[in-house]
Amino acid sequence: MDAIASPRREFLDGCREIAPVLIGTIPFGFVAGVVSVASGMTPLEGIALSVLSFSGIAQLVASQLVAVQSPVALTIAAAAVVSLRFLMYSAALSPHLAHLDRRWRLLLSYLMTDQSFAMTVKRFSEPGDARHRHWHFLGSALTLYVSWQLAVVLGAFAGAQVPATWSLDFAVVLCFIALLVPAVRTRADLAAAMVAAGVALAAAGLPYRLSLVIASIAGIAAGLAIESAHASGHSAAEPRP
Amino acid sequence: MSHWLVIVGVALVTFGLRASFIVFADPHRFPHAFRRALVFVPPAVLAAIVAPGLLAPDGAIVIGLANPRWIAGLAAIVIAMRWRTPLAAIVAGMSALWLLQWGLARLA
Repeated sequence: MDAIASPRREFLDGCREIAPVLIGTIPFGFVAGVVSVASGMTPLEGIALSVLSFSGIAQLVASQLVAVQSPVALTIAAAAVVSLRFLMYSAALSPHLAHLDRRWRLLLSYLMTDQSFAMTVKRFSEPGDARHRHWHFLGSALTLYVSWQLAVVLGAFAGAQVPATWSLDFAVVLCFIALLVPAVRTRADLAAAMVAAGVALAAAGLPYRLSLVIASIAGIAAGLAIESAHASGHSAAEPRP
Repeated sequence: MSHWLVIVGVALVTFGLRASFIVFADPHRFPHAFRRALVFVPPAVLAAIVAPGLLAPDGAIVIGLANPRWIAGLAAIVIAMRWRTPLAAIVAGMSALWLLQWGLARLA
């Protein structure tokens, strides 16, 4: 019954399934390009950061810190903290990709994002033969990569033309809201988010946006504390979808 | 020069974290406590970015009509809870902000 989908079929399905996501990521990429240049980087530097790191969140955080002339090591550390979620994604995907050769695994690692991770996990969870599903991953990831980089280039060069009254930088906060809301699924997630938000505001006066790192760690601790309290108070832990 | 150090450093950490288990390590040796902690990275980090962006866009906390961003952000959060597509929150939030900025400029 389950015919094995060909590599070509998987690749094209991946390209097609990621398309609706691009409506959100293209403006995000544009803003990432704008913000990089506004931070004092040249367009070439902003584009290089984007091409080499391919992470909107890391790029925005690094740009914010470059703008306030924070030390290089601290800037890189902050980008690492906001990118810790990739560890989790990498652990989740590795069993599905273990059969591939090293070049494939290096390439797919480089192209992995929040969006293509979600799509790939969904594809691998479907029944049937999975042997060509890494092509699905490649299709979705490559489509996102190409459109993202074009949007960043556009933002890096055309961003200066956008009047400040448009408040385009607010689109970045909105992109984070669009990622944050679905990430809050349990009471412990909510505690992590609320504590991180509170600490970020309380520590907002610290230099170099140190508040981001401190608030993230406080939020993670709060999530763990609520989860532990919940698990010990009830027989069954809260189910995580 | 320091910009290029940032670019290379950020590239290395983002790639290293992505490749960690896919290329280099065995996830079965991943300490359980660490795995539990990582689950809370997205809500904590994202909230730590969003909260100041809404309530303290210029560094100091402003909750009032002088700062329309938290109102527009609240609208975006409500919309994002209802519709899961990122576009809905972005369109709702930007429209709300522009409307508030326009309206408040009229009032002033």
